[in-house]
Amino acid sequence: MEVMWHASSFLLPQPQPQEPREDAPPPAALTYALIVLNQRLPRFAPLLWNRAQLRVCADGGANRVYDNMPKLFPDQDPQEVRLRYTPDVIKGDLDSIRDDVKEFYLNLGVRIVDESHDQDTTDLHKCVAYVSGSAPVEDKSKLCILVVGALGGRFDHEIGNINVLHRFSNLRIVLLSDDCLIHLLPKTHSHVIHVQLPVEGPHCGLIPIGAPSARTSTTGLQWNLSDTAMSFGGLISTSNVVKEDKITVSSDADLIWTISIKKPIKE
Amino acid sequence: MVSRLVQNTKVMKHAATFLLPSSAVSATNRLAQTYALVVLNQQIPKFTPLLWSHAKLRICADGGANRIFDGVPKLFPDQNQLNIQHRYVPNVIKGDMDSIRPEVHQFYAELGSEIIDDSENQDTNDLHKCISFIQEQTSAFDHSNFCTLVTGALGGRFDHEAANLNALYVFSDMRIVLLSDDCQIRLLPKTHQHEIHIQSTVEGPHCGLFPIGGPSVSTTTTGLTWDLCNSEMKFGSMISTSNKVREEKVTVCSDADLLWTISLKTPIHMGLTC
Repeated sequence: MEVMWHASSFLLPQPQPQEPREDAPPPAALTYALIVLNQRLPRFAPLLWNRAQLRVCADGGANRVYDNMPKLFPDQDPQEVRLRYTPDVIKGDLDSIRDDVKEFYLNLGVRIVDESHDQDTTDLHKCVAYVSGSAPVEDKSKLCILVVGALGGRFDHEIGNINVLHRFSNLRIVLLSDDCLIHLLPKTHSHVIHVQLPVEGPHCGLIPIGAPSARTSTTGLQWNLSDTAMSFGGLISTSNVVKEDKITVSSDADLIWTISIKKPIKE
Repeated sequence: MVSRLVQNTKVMKHAATFLLPSSAVSATNRLAQTYALVVLNQQIPKFTPLLWSHAKLRICADGGANRIFDGVPKLFPDQNQLNIQHRYVPNVIKGDMDSIRPEVHQFYAELGSEIIDDSENQDTNDLHKCISFIQEQTSAFDHSNFCTLVTGALGGRFDHEAANLNALYVFSDMRIVLLSDDCQIRLLPKTHQHEIHIQSTVEGPHCGLFPIGGPSVSTTTTGLTWDLCNSEMKFGSMISTSNKVREEKVTVCSDADLLWTISLKTPIHMGLTC
């Protein structure tokens, strides 16, 4: 089974050169895109923004960037911050974006795409489809889509956002909040996760959302699984702890991997 | 298409009457229930005093005690803070006690809260331990009319949230409702057909049905804007999010356990005279 590599290097203050390891090839350099949904920005949003080559706001996510980015730089002029953190595209059904925010970004030449005719898919789904088609990278396995504002708030929105991970299981998509990140470990691959200890951990978990797992095995965790069955109603791996900086996971089911984010992350 | 749905004759009724002031819930309301409240360690919803007023048993899971101690007085800013703290004293504080502040621990212990130190048991999470405790305490109760309300189960660390959702599945024979300022969540077990009586002054219209434990081959609903009709639901494909309640009664019948969620209308009028 092919191995899929993961590393939250987008959380590191500076891109770190990957040191070659004896046991593995270094993960390929990734191209990042950022999608901002309509919830309060995490404190490290500027870090992700600076790492991304494509930045998309989903509807009211534009309000969040307009209002909250300046708050993350309290010593700087708010308008200057807004000009520095201008999205490439604003997309969605546009029923949440404020008129003043829309006008501000229109005047800056931001592309605003009204998709209110499409009520079948969520804002995140639309943005992921757009990013997948537009991102400046030919090999989609080298694209990583970072999403803020997908967790918390209305539970049906959160679950809809998690379902986007399942629907686009061939894409790397990471949902981030102040407290943690989550991403899918598709069953089609075995997985190696290089934990970035300065910025993430130690709390972690593996959750079989959508379907149970008959057999999951891990290495590198405090409580490893060994051909262990996991399901809602039975065992799921939560409040686990990373014990080594390399975690391996292989499973017969799609799993959600989650790891806590250390506070504070400095830009 | 041949429906593979097993004909369930048992009906389970649900009504979020705990979101209405006590005066609005008549004594003859056959859906009236006995409540327990579990407070986990996250910011309490603004309507926590209303839940507290409905509950016969109030349990704080470890740092949940800090949240009541700090958070409830803030909901009554015009009142004497110490008086409020004396009025909202949990019956039980349970957990491994590594989050509760010493002064909070002492305050409630002196006022008669039962403190149960669970630090030896690292196998299950705080919510599981509290629900097990409630199960033991209420074995004499009629469980069909007993309901556990939980605050602080959502948000924060995702693995905590997943463990809290799992508690609904592990204790699927108990009524448990997870609450935040934005929404409520409960399990609709596949063993029953479900009738949800919408309290439209306090909840809705946004709702959803999710098969997080495993796919549904056939789910049928009535009363929603986008009803399901022998519909398949699974992650990676269609699940019912951003739906809306259309009628006062929603029915759900499924071959799979489903999570039901509905948004809350805020502010929730508590109708409390302090």
